[in-house]
Amino acid sequence: MYTAKHAMLYKHKVHDGQAHVFYMDIRAGGKGYEEFVRRAIEQDGAKYYRGRVSKITEENGKLIVRGADTLAGEPVTIEADMVVLAAAMRPADGVEQLAQKLNVGYDEYGFLLESHPKLRPVETSAAGVYICGACQAPKDIPESVAQASAAASKVLITFSADELTREPEIAKINEETCAACFTCVHACPYHAIEQAEIRTPRGVFVKRTARVNPGLCMGCGTCVAVCPSKSADLEGFTEQQIYSMVESLV
Amino acid sequence: MSERPEFEPKIVAFVCNWCTYLGADLAGTTRLEYPPNVRIIRLPCTGRIDFNLIIKAFEIGADSVLVSGCHPGDCHYTSGNYHARRRWILFRELLQTLGFDLERIHFTWISAAEGHKWQQTVKEITEKTRKLGPYKDLYQISGVEGLEVLSDAPAVAPEALTGEEAHKAETGVPRSTGEEALREACRRLLAEGNVKVVIGYGKRGPVFATRPEDAEQLVWNNQCLANLTVYLKRKEIRALGRPAIVVKGCDERALVVLEKESQIDRKEMHVIGMACEGMGEAKCETCGVHVPRFSDEVIGEADKHPAETGERWKALESLLALPPAGRMAYWAREFERCVKCYACRQVCPMCYCERCLVEKNRPTEIEPSATAKGNFAWHIVRAFHLAGRCVGCDECTRACPAGIDLRLLNLSLAKAAEEQFAYRAGMDPKAEPLIGAYSLQDKEIFIR
Repeated sequence: MYTAKHAMLYKHKVHDGQAHVFYMDIRAGGKGYEEFVRRAIEQDGAKYYRGRVSKITEENGKLIVRGADTLAGEPVTIEADMVVLAAAMRPADGVEQLAQKLNVGYDEYGFLLESHPKLRPVETSAAGVYICGACQAPKDIPESVAQASAAASKVLITFSADELTREPEIAKINEETCAACFTCVHACPYHAIEQAEIRTPRGVFVKRTARVNPGLCMGCGTCVAVCPSKSADLEGFTEQQIYSMVESLV
Repeated sequence: MSERPEFEPKIVAFVCNWCTYLGADLAGTTRLEYPPNVRIIRLPCTGRIDFNLIIKAFEIGADSVLVSGCHPGDCHYTSGNYHARRRWILFRELLQTLGFDLERIHFTWISAAEGHKWQQTVKEITEKTRKLGPYKDLYQISGVEGLEVLSDAPAVAPEALTGEEAHKAETGVPRSTGEEALREACRRLLAEGNVKVVIGYGKRGPVFATRPEDAEQLVWNNQCLANLTVYLKRKEIRALGRPAIVVKGCDERALVVLEKESQIDRKEMHVIGMACEGMGEAKCETCGVHVPRFSDEVIGEADKHPAETGERWKALESLLALPPAGRMAYWAREFERCVKCYACRQVCPMCYCERCLVEKNRPTEIEPSATAKGNFAWHIVRAFHLAGRCVGCDECTRACPAGIDLRLLNLSLAKAAEEQFAYRAGMDPKAEPLIGAYSLQDKEIFIR
């Protein structure tokens, strides 16, 4: 698509120039996109060849592009002033560090992961972090704008209510018995546990403790398994419930 | 009525909600038949699966245990299975040392789309368990051939059994005496007033010097074995004010771990390091830190870079040479003497929880009685809670009135930590804690 746009912009700036486009597939899926490519070909005279370029050599300051037009079944040779590669889109540099900082998942290419491709397309695995645009996947402007609007309205949903609704299965810490080793803080995949202090109403320091941020906790229970004093527990999957299950099983 | 088969294995499966449980569901909806011997316990994530549950399952009579979750990278909670994997690697090592039959503990990754794999896994485990028979060896002393070798415990652990005798037999006082320098430092610190109490060694047990004249009580000789860092967590000591503590190179590792676990504020204490070339203890033979590295002051001199004398895991060798049932019998006999006095917990610098897991009821996670079941449960928990944290001070072994060589359990976990993760507790203040962190490269050869 953006190659068609390049060809058009070139024609608008260099009126007597000629754009040649070698393609295998024209990725023009979307409303009006096919028409856009046709316009580049018909109105702005870009020449499209279905085929690959086999060789580019330099002769007398010109680039000689040899390729094939597989639809016409004949070789094509073009003397070009400039060759532009229609390269693939990739995520911005440093996006992985950002994702790690925000605790958001990303795929092998470095694009950020949504929590569900169909049902939660702008949410991430970190509660309160939303994604839109080309950080998630290669996207053009209309798609980015649409997704940004979606993300914005998701944010507004959060702000529109006085209270945050959460899943019922989240961890809680018995602050009285917490030994404040903060192993759970290290282990929590969502950074949902923080170091806190217990103070009397007059502000006298009593002890340190781990504390769960219920807005961030997703209820995986990793903290329960690593807690040495079992001060952490997971509502809905409490120790009491699970031990009762195990004891009644066999 | 047809005749009842003689043995139907009982298999307890701990599975995660998002992958294996759905995989089992898929097996059901696609009408795949598998043996009904498996009892599934659904947990949100493999990260939630506590090692205690595996022990509990065996305690109540499971013949095999299956633990299963999402494939690496597929965790619904991004990293729960990685955390679990690291724990299993260490836990398996402990179970192996204790002589559990590892053929009865299975770990798998089964995704929500792998109904067939679930079917296959359950079938195979059931068949295997059927062949193995009921788990009769659990916590059993008798019925194992070749145990005579172990009936005189020294074959496994000569050092621990000799106790006090060993120190007397050892003559040489550490080369770096420095007792007077230590007293001088104590007087100076207390006189300056910056430090309110000096925790050091006395003729009989620890000394808590609060006045400059108390410094005379301090000693430094080859009886200074104890790891004094355990007193730092005591409320009575904390109430005295800013402490100064006398540590050897080995004890100092405990400080590193305690600081990492935010139990102490290193700035709020003064550390007097004592150079030490060994006290003639088993641990000293393989000590890697003769000179304290992070102390505020170091008294005395010692070989700075001691050669790694002796094989660190030598003590484990004869135990690991036994077959699993033999190891189990060894520990069952050792634990039979355990009276659950919890001395091992009280002297451990790393056991600082205000409410120990063993005191927790509703649910009772560890059988409180001093029976084989209760003793095993306690020692498994104690050892595993020290995984990647135990600094090898061997205080637990020294304190045990029954002379149980608890050191071996700690050693086996230290060995696993070092071999699998190149991690040695208390050596590097900047290293991530072993439990609570994970690496994508953690080896999972035992997971199918």
